[in-house]
Amino acid sequence: MAALSRRIIKETVRLLQEPVPGISAVPDENNARYFHVIVTGPSDSPFEGGLFKLELFLPEDYPMSAPKVRFITKIYHPNIDRLGRICLDILKDKWSPALQIRTVLLSIQALLSAPNPDDPLANDVAELWKVSESEAIKNAKEWTQRYAMGN
Amino acid sequence: MKVRSILNNQLINMSNDSDMDYSSEDNECEYDYYNTGVADVDIEQIDRKNMDSEYLEFKCLNVEEVEKLLNESVEHLSNTIHLMPSLAKVLLLEHSWQANEIIEKYNRNPNALLIRSRIKPHNAPARKPSSNEHMSSTSHQSSSQPVCSVCTSSQPSQNFFNLSCGHPFCKECWASHFETQINQGISTAIGCMASKCNVRVPEELVLSLLTKPNIRDKYQQFTFSDYVKSHPQLRFCPGANCQIIIQCKIMEPKKATCSSCNISFCFKCGSDYHAPTDCQVIKKWLTKCADDSETANYISAHTKDCPKCNICIEKNGGCNHMQCFSCRYDFCWMCMGDWKTHGSEYYECSRYKEYPNIANESVHAQAREALKKYLHYYERWENHSKSLQLEEQTLAAMRERINTKVMNGLGTWIDWQHLFNAAALLAKCRYTLQYTYPYAYFMEAGSRKDLFEYQQAQLEAEIENLSWKIERAETTDRGDLENQMDVSEKRRITLLTDFFQ
Repeated sequence: MAALSRRIIKETVRLLQEPVPGISAVPDENNARYFHVIVTGPSDSPFEGGLFKLELFLPEDYPMSAPKVRFITKIYHPNIDRLGRICLDILKDKWSPALQIRTVLLSIQALLSAPNPDDPLANDVAELWKVSESEAIKNAKEWTQRYAMGN
Repeated sequence: MKVRSILNNQLINMSNDSDMDYSSEDNECEYDYYNTGVADVDIEQIDRKNMDSEYLEFKCLNVEEVEKLLNESVEHLSNTIHLMPSLAKVLLLEHSWQANEIIEKYNRNPNALLIRSRIKPHNAPARKPSSNEHMSSTSHQSSSQPVCSVCTSSQPSQNFFNLSCGHPFCKECWASHFETQINQGISTAIGCMASKCNVRVPEELVLSLLTKPNIRDKYQQFTFSDYVKSHPQLRFCPGANCQIIIQCKIMEPKKATCSSCNISFCFKCGSDYHAPTDCQVIKKWLTKCADDSETANYISAHTKDCPKCNICIEKNGGCNHMQCFSCRYDFCWMCMGDWKTHGSEYYECSRYKEYPNIANESVHAQAREALKKYLHYYERWENHSKSLQLEEQTLAAMRERINTKVMNGLGTWIDWQHLFNAAALLAKCRYTLQYTYPYAYFMEAGSRKDLFEYQQAQLEAEIENLSWKIERAETTDRGDLENQMDVSEKRRITLLTDFFQ
C-alpha cells in the first residue's frame, strides 16, 4: 500500500482532465496524497461568490478508509466548525470504498447549498440557523464576503 | 440457625411425647414452643428460590459451551423456517435470539424481515457488474475483462464476487475491506462496499476471503462477542481476562458469581452488585460521585457561607474574626455569629452551637443544602465501602485473637470458628447497607422514603451491634451472637424484599 495505488493515479488524472464544475482539486507537488481544493460557493446560497479553500488527504488505506477533508477558509455553516472540520456522513460511517474524491467534493458542495442545522457540528451557528434563519444567512453572507472573497 | 432449629425439633418431639404423658398444667408452655418451632421448620423446608429473594439461578459456561448453545438455537431456527444456518444466525443476532418472534415475523412477511435484517437489499438487485455508476467510463471501455470499481484494475470475471445486492468487486478488494472494518472493531455488521448499500456480508464469506491468521482470529473473537452481547441470557464475566460467560434465564438485577475468577456482579448491568438500588440509579450515583466528590469534599471541609450575604468563603489562615470581603460583615468563624457580641472572647469561641438557620431562599444556601445532603449520603456510602475494604485486616486480627485465646486455653480452635461466619454475615450486611445510600439519595421525600430510611437506620444499628459483638467475643458461648446475626440478616432481607418484588 505504500506505493501510490493505481486507483489514486486514475482518480487524479481524471480530476485534472475532466474537472467537476465549480471544484478544483490539485495534488501537492511533494505529496500525491495531499490535495489543494477550491470549491466555489453554490449560487442561490449565502456562500455565492466565495472561493473556499479546503485540504484533502488520502490515508494509507484509501479507498478502504475515507479521505480526510477540512475547510481552510473560515465559513459560517452549521455543519462546519471553527477548525474547518466537516460533519458529513459519507466522511464517517457511511463511507464506501466505491465513493471517490470527486463524489466527496460534490457532496461537500451540496452541503453548502443545503445546511442541516439538525445535525450540527458548530452548535452556536446551528442554534441561530434554527431560531432565526434570516439572521444566520446574513452572517454567512458577511463571512463569505470577509473571508472567501478578495484574495 | 442450625442449632436452634435442631433444638426446636427436639422440643417438638418432646412436646409430642409429652402430650400423652402430662396433663394440662404444661399446656401454655408447650403451645408456645410448638408454635415457634413449627414456624422455623417450615422456613427451612421451603426451597431457596422462594425463601431467599436474592437467589439467582445461573450457570458459568466456557466458550465452547456457549458456542454449542448458540449453534443449537441456530439449528433449531434454521430447521423451522428452512433457511441457511448462517442466515438464521443473522436473524437471531438482530432479534436478541427470540426465535419465536422471528418465526412469527417470517411467516407474516419473509421479505420484509430479510430486508430489515440486511440480508436482502432494499432495492431490486443491481443487474450487471457495470451497473455501478462510478468509473463507468473506464469499465465500459475495457472490452473483455470487467473492471473493479474500487481498485480500477481489470481482472478475469471469476475474481469477482457480489452479495445478494449484485454489486461486484474483486476478491482482493473485498478482503482488504474486511480487514479495514475488522481493525475498526466491526464484525457482524460489515456491509457491501457499494455506496448506500447496506447488505450484510455473511460470516463464511468473510472467513473464506481472509487469509491473515491474526485478522481471522480477531474477526472470530468479535463476532462471538457480538453474539453473546446480543443474547439476553448471556453475559461475559467482567473479571479481567476471564473467559467465562454467565447464563441466566431471567434478566434480573441480582448477584451472579463467576466460578472461575470469583468476581460477583449484577447480572443485569454487569457492574458491582447493587441491591436495593437499581441499575440506572447506581449508574447515576457512581457518575455523580466520580464528578463531584472531590470538589464537594473540599468545599465542605474548607469553606463556609457568610451568614449575612451567603457568599462562599474559604478560610486559609488567620484568626476566627472574619470579615466578609463582599458585604464587610464581621463574624466569628466558629459560631458564625456577629463578632460584636463576642466582646473580648478572642480566638476561641465559647458560644459554638448549632449552625444558625440561615435564610433558605438564597441560591448559595440552597446549593450548600444540596451539597450537605449529597455529602450526608456520600460519607455513609464511602464509610461502609472503606469498612469492607478493611475486611482482610479485620479477619487477620480475628485470627490472631483466636490464636491467643486457644493458646490460653479458652476453648478450642473449632469453638471459635463461628466468628468467621459472623464476620462473613457482617460483610454481607454492610455491603447491602452501603448500596442503600444511593437509593435513598435519589428517592423522593415522602412516607416511602421515611420508611426506607427507618429500616435503613435499623439495619445500621444492628450491624454496629454485630460488629461490636464480634470484636469483643470473650467466650465461646455463641447464643447471643447467633441471635444478633439472625436479627441483622432479617433487617437486611426486609430492606431487600421491596426491591425484588
